[in-house]
Amino acid sequence: MSNVIETKNLSKVYKGVVPVHAVDNVDLQIEDNEFTAIVGPSGSGKTTLLNIIGGLDRPTSGNVLVNGNELASLNDNQLIDFRLKHIGFVFQSYNLIPVLTAKENTEFIMLLQKISKQERDERVEKLLTDVGLGDKMNSRPTQLSGGQQQRVAVARALASKPDFILADEPTANLDSKSAENLLDIMLRLNKEEGVTFVFSTHDQRVIDRARRVITLEDGKIVKDERK
Amino acid sequence: MIVKVAWRNIWRNRLRSSVIIIALSLGLWAGIFASAFVQGMMKQKVESVISKEMSDFQVHHPDYREEKLPNLIIEDSETIQADIASNEYVIASTGRVIIEGPAVSTSHKEGMIRLIGIDPKEEAMVTGLEGDLIEGTYFEGIKKNPILISSKTAEEYGLELKSKINFRFLDIHGDVHQVGFRVVGIYNSGNPMMDGMKAYALRDDVKSHLGIETGFHEIAVSLNDHNQAEPLAEKFQNKYENLEVIPWLDLALGMRYMIDAMGMYTVIIVGIILFALLFSILNTMLMAVLERTREIGMLMAVGMAKQKVFFMIMVETLFLSLIGGPIGLLVSYLSISYFGSAGINLGDAAYGEMGFSNIIYPYLESSEYVKVGIMVFFMALFAAIYPSVKALRLKPVEAIRK
Repeated sequence: MSNVIETKNLSKVYKGVVPVHAVDNVDLQIEDNEFTAIVGPSGSGKTTLLNIIGGLDRPTSGNVLVNGNELASLNDNQLIDFRLKHIGFVFQSYNLIPVLTAKENTEFIMLLQKISKQERDERVEKLLTDVGLGDKMNSRPTQLSGGQQQRVAVARALASKPDFILADEPTANLDSKSAENLLDIMLRLNKEEGVTFVFSTHDQRVIDRARRVITLEDGKIVKDERK
Repeated sequence: MIVKVAWRNIWRNRLRSSVIIIALSLGLWAGIFASAFVQGMMKQKVESVISKEMSDFQVHHPDYREEKLPNLIIEDSETIQADIASNEYVIASTGRVIIEGPAVSTSHKEGMIRLIGIDPKEEAMVTGLEGDLIEGTYFEGIKKNPILISSKTAEEYGLELKSKINFRFLDIHGDVHQVGFRVVGIYNSGNPMMDGMKAYALRDDVKSHLGIETGFHEIAVSLNDHNQAEPLAEKFQNKYENLEVIPWLDLALGMRYMIDAMGMYTVIIVGIILFALLFSILNTMLMAVLERTREIGMLMAVGMAKQKVFFMIMVETLFLSLIGGPIGLLVSYLSISYFGSAGINLGDAAYGEMGFSNIIYPYLESSEYVKVGIMVFFMALFAAIYPSVKALRLKPVEAIRK
């Protein structure tokens, strides 16, 4: 299998009186169709690593390759465009647009990609049905539970047909039932649709079901376990 | 979709958006209505100056306005008046014989009033004097020296119908005359200041008292188009080089400057109000951007280009302004239309003493609404820039954590 994500000597240092090595010389390869959890204690660098992989933050040194494309060579505007076309994001706090319905939130990314209305309609319906919200298409975020909102966020992340999905603590704000439910959907998408997931988590149930678990401590990979 | 999001965003905080929209509407209305009030007042003043005081243009002996001597008569007055009256723009003309500033005395008071000798029919056509009559008759019923005085004069000098009023003046030979006139009618032209300065008698009576056999001191001309006053005055000035032909704008000192200044009045008043409102809108949008930092960060994170984020905030600000703007314009239009026909009665306010009518009919050229609309649009654009730039400067990695 080919590497979707590859990092080489990746480091991120926050300057200060005492410099903080949030990510320290990380070499990492993530293959297509992987379901990878990045775990570690608070402050271990999980979110920073995800941000750098997702092109939201720039490393102090080293490089990130996404399907062979070197992110360091892209300027800010090119990075935005790259994220739109290649990376799906799921955030801990869902971050849906509150004034749009579930359908419109999912459709929004495709509009930015200038996808035709017919294709948008078909894909939105399929995505929301896949995440179990076929009957909530016209509900606004305030009318949905946390778990449902996070499922809309997953549908939105998939809408642009990204190379992979980055999820930062996707179950952190969910009750156990909603977390299980979300995890089931992510695993099914991974298995049936071949969607690559990389996510950070503290949740042991999520860690237990991940097929690869990378453990970070003080910005370094201390363990990389495939199940 | 961006426009749809922008539209829905402004209704997230309905109270805040409504307050801004109402403030903008009220501010605009206040500015426009104040402007319309002053412009209406000025328009009435201009109409009054033309129809009641100056006419569109006047003809005099070249030294008359300077020296005001009774012997400075227009030669061949009747012929010149007839020539002017034959012009296509002229709707009426009249020849006047004037006693400038004679001493006036009644049993109550002494003072000075300009006595204008008129042909009642001609004068009625030019100044509508007959229509201003509020008491008595229009030179009927009293055969010897009838005089028409204003209600202000009647009040000041304690006069009523048939009261006697004495004028003392010099005739063309320099001899002093004292003549008694009897009040035949009392008029009110709506301009107390001007009314109080003059009285009307029959032209033949005044001519006879001054010792003038033929001719007038003044020919006043009314046109069907006030814009023709200057070109036509120039034309007749060229024709009658030995006379002075002068349009109303040059007769009414200061009017030309006031009219020029009026052109800028709306822009200045509304401009000041919009400038203040600009900061309210800017503040509202800035708060909206700061409250949505995480959301805007998310939009950038998932791939929304910076120019689209900029555009979205610009559109939100424009929506906010362009809802309030038309409401303000509409309310202004409706209120100006209503009071433009109903009038605003200032009662005995001091405006009358300043030469303005006591009832003001607000008026605004339709082009002024367009001008204000354009000003609102540009104000909205200016107000939108800073919040949009603020949104643009957000870094997604920091913004999504907030």
